[in-house]
Amino acid sequence: MSHIVTIKTEVRDAEAVRAACKRLGLDEPVHGTVRLFSGEATGLLVNLPGWHYHAVADLATGQINFDNYEGQWGEQRHLDAFVQAYALEKAKIEARKRGHSVHEQPLPDGSIKLVIQVAGGVS
Amino acid sequence: MSKVIEITVGPKGETRVVTRGFAGAECRVASQYVEQALGKRTAEQMTAEFYQGQQQASQDLRQSN
Repeated sequence: MSHIVTIKTEVRDAEAVRAACKRLGLDEPVHGTVRLFSGEATGLLVNLPGWHYHAVADLATGQINFDNYEGQWGEQRHLDAFVQAYALEKAKIEARKRGHSVHEQPLPDGSIKLVIQVAGGVS
Repeated sequence: MSKVIEITVGPKGETRVVTRGFAGAECRVASQYVEQALGKRTAEQMTAEFYQGQQQASQDLRQSN
């Protein structure tokens, strides 16, 4: 082992957003503007299961804007699952771009581990 | 030893990147592309293998002088 880095996921890649929606069986995300309680939000609109309003992925800031009225208008776990799926798909896209092979392993606590084999030296 | 980058994504989307099989600073370069693509670093921790690599590099330097 050489180093360990912890990262807070930012949603900035439309291709990975689409892949995350596909992975979770959600509708294809579309670009648009919706009115949330906090005001208007523009970005990729993600239709989470059972949510009254879209979650809005703002690729410029990396943030997801949403209004689920503290869980009453949509369960937080669906948004969490989307962020997890996005991070996995984004990492896979980047690894494959470099020709690295990727293998997924689900873990008992609900985490998913991606093992990226780096072929040869540093690319 | 094979060079591996392990990325563990938690159920809330928090991500942990661990490199294995790299010596010294090589590990930072190797996983940088995926770390930057995922978002903002909140913590970094070097492990024994990193420092072994650093020591080896400085020993090599001394021996060559």
